[in-house]
Amino acid sequence: MRQAWDINSFEMGEFLRWIQKSLGMGKARCPEEERCLELLRIMLDEQATEEESKYVHKHIGNCYRCYQNYELENTIREAVKSKTHHLKVPQKLVNEITSKINL
Amino acid sequence: MDQAKEGYSDLEKRDIFNNEFMVHIDALYNFAIKLTLDEDEAKDLLQDTCMKAFRFIDSFEKGTNAKAWLFRILKNSFINDYRKKSKAPGMVDYQEVETYYNSDEEKGAGQVTTDLRSETVKGMLGDEITNALNSMDVDFRTVIILCDLEGFKYEEMAKILDIPIGTVRSRLHRARNILKEKLAAYAASMGYK
Ligand SMILES: [Zn+2]
Repeated sequence: MRQAWDINSFEMGEFLRWIQKSLGMGKARCPEEERCLELLRIMLDEQATEEESKYVHKHIGNCYRCYQNYELENTIREAVKSKTHHLKVPQKLVNEITSKINL
Repeated sequence: MDQAKEGYSDLEKRDIFNNEFMVHIDALYNFAIKLTLDEDEAKDLLQDTCMKAFRFIDSFEKGTNAKAWLFRILKNSFINDYRKKSKAPGMVDYQEVETYYNSDEEKGAGQVTTDLRSETVKGMLGDEITNALNSMDVDFRTVIILCDLEGFKYEEMAKILDIPIGTVRSRLHRARNILKEKLAAYAASMGYK
């Protein structure tokens, strides 16, 4: 169901990224970084067009810097989803509301 | 000829409320808490929202997106009745925030390079994430909540917030930058590497 791209299936890209990582290129900014960040966020929101997803997929497959951005964005999103509290409405309040409605 | 909308019967109203609205009550409560950051205010806000939803139920089309409809009412109640109360002097409103950040980004300051590693974020506790989120301006916090926690699409968010879809996208983008900066600042203060 989730259309999260399986980035690691790009073996060539993985190798390229490994080289870039080894050369410490993760710290160097990428000229396409801002555009890529914007589009990869839209992709993670599952609202990117096919074209936008393709661009992101291809770019982060070969760019270690943007791949790091992808990982970080994904992690922050997951953390927000899974680590923030989700409360249930106190039953007393539910009763108060429904009794007012169902008079 | 279309039949003029006569409104629902009392029975129908209760039926819609109990079956289409009540399933979203936990989500509404959590949204109220994250907006007000106060449990008592959140309870009042939730109650007001439910009463308004019931009073204006004729403007809800049965079977349509009840969750977005309810979130919109809650957000409007918050802006009209709660935000004013807690609005501290010197606090800016929607438009000002937008212009401020727009001009900020034009100067290139919007895109701050943060050296935050995803492993660091993975190690953070729920409270640390929550604090970062809660310390954001409410307009930016709201878009993150609607998108990441409630899974609304941009189009739904535009309706809930009464803003164009382009503004949803740009506000969300800025909100994510701000959240990342806050997490990075926190990580740095804790000496995480
Ligand atoms: Zn790149």
